Amino acid sequence: MAACFRAAFGYAFLVLMVRVAGRRPGKQMTPFEFVLIFFIGGLTLTFMVADDRSLVNAFVQIITVALLHYSLVWLRRQSNNLARIIDGTPLVLLDNGEWRKDTLMGMRLQDDDVMAAAREQGLRSLDEIQYATLERNGEISIIRKAQA
Amino acid sequence: MATPMRTVPVEDSVPKVGNELAVGEDLSFQRKWWVFERIVWTLFVLVVVLDVAGVFGRGPAANAHMHTPDGAMNVRYERIERFSTPSIMTIEFGRTAVRDGKIQLWVSDSIVKELGNQRIVPQPLSSITGDGGIYYTFPTTDSPDSVEFALQPSKPGVFHFSLRVQPNTATPGTGAASPAPEQLQARVVVMP
Repeated sequence: MAACFRAAFGYAFLVLMVRVAGRRPGKQMTPFEFVLIFFIGGLTLTFMVADDRSLVNAFVQIITVALLHYSLVWLRRQSNNLARIIDGTPLVLLDNGEWRKDTLMGMRLQDDDVMAAAREQGLRSLDEIQYATLERNGEISIIRKAQA
Repeated sequence: MATPMRTVPVEDSVPKVGNELAVGEDLSFQRKWWVFERIVWTLFVLVVVLDVAGVFGRGPAANAHMHTPDGAMNVRYERIERFSTPSIMTIEFGRTAVRDGKIQLWVSDSIVKELGNQRIVPQPLSSITGDGGIYYTFPTTDSPDSVEFALQPSKPGVFHFSLRVQPNTATPGTGAASPAPEQLQARVVVMP
């Protein structure tokens, strides 16, 4: 199979895997997610490189991935539906002192994850939070309650 | 003079939660995505189970076996191979395959080309091309054992191969009369 097709398949497969396997990158990334990302990336390389370790193969595959990434970003800008599929949508986890259980369960998050984000903003307990939202980049934003 | 930067007024277009926090949450999409995720996870489990079973090669479902009615050849091979991945095809010979202390085996070209034969153990005494394949001659005792072909498919696809043992010692292409040999045919799927 041509190097560019292997690269394209590897890129599409990785995008799907990372999207489906969970949206907890960046600050929310735990050692488990590090293992997932590096392991999947390493395994994908085996079939992308195959037995062709040439400079040409590396160039073609890097350019293919760059083109695909550029195309995906361009398409995402053209279509809100595609943007939601690729990036997901921000989700409210805690709404005016009430947990959204379905969202927490669906996103495989726990109250501990929200509290970890709250501590980073200097909050001492969950009841100081008015809204907690899971952003598209996987970070949890905290809006603290207005002081009485 | 520099062209002025185009500007547009800010619209409050991001949907709000509690009429105060602009989040842009789309729960109806998210619920559909969760359904999609469940389907994908189910498919992932199915793929792993099928892989363990050998449906994609290198497992119990991939192992195959065939033999000639007269017992001259008993072949164990993998009906599902993987591209560029080594495998072994074993041919066990019966006494009826031996003529004058030799076994003459014919294999189709596809064994060498598409299925990528790398080596034969033991090494044949001679190899002659002809009839769309290769004739190998192996010296043996009256109790013949087996020959192994180390395969490594060179491309993905569906390929057929054929094997037969020559029931006499006539040199191929000489026109000498010989009984019809028992031929085995099989199909191999090479996964990408």
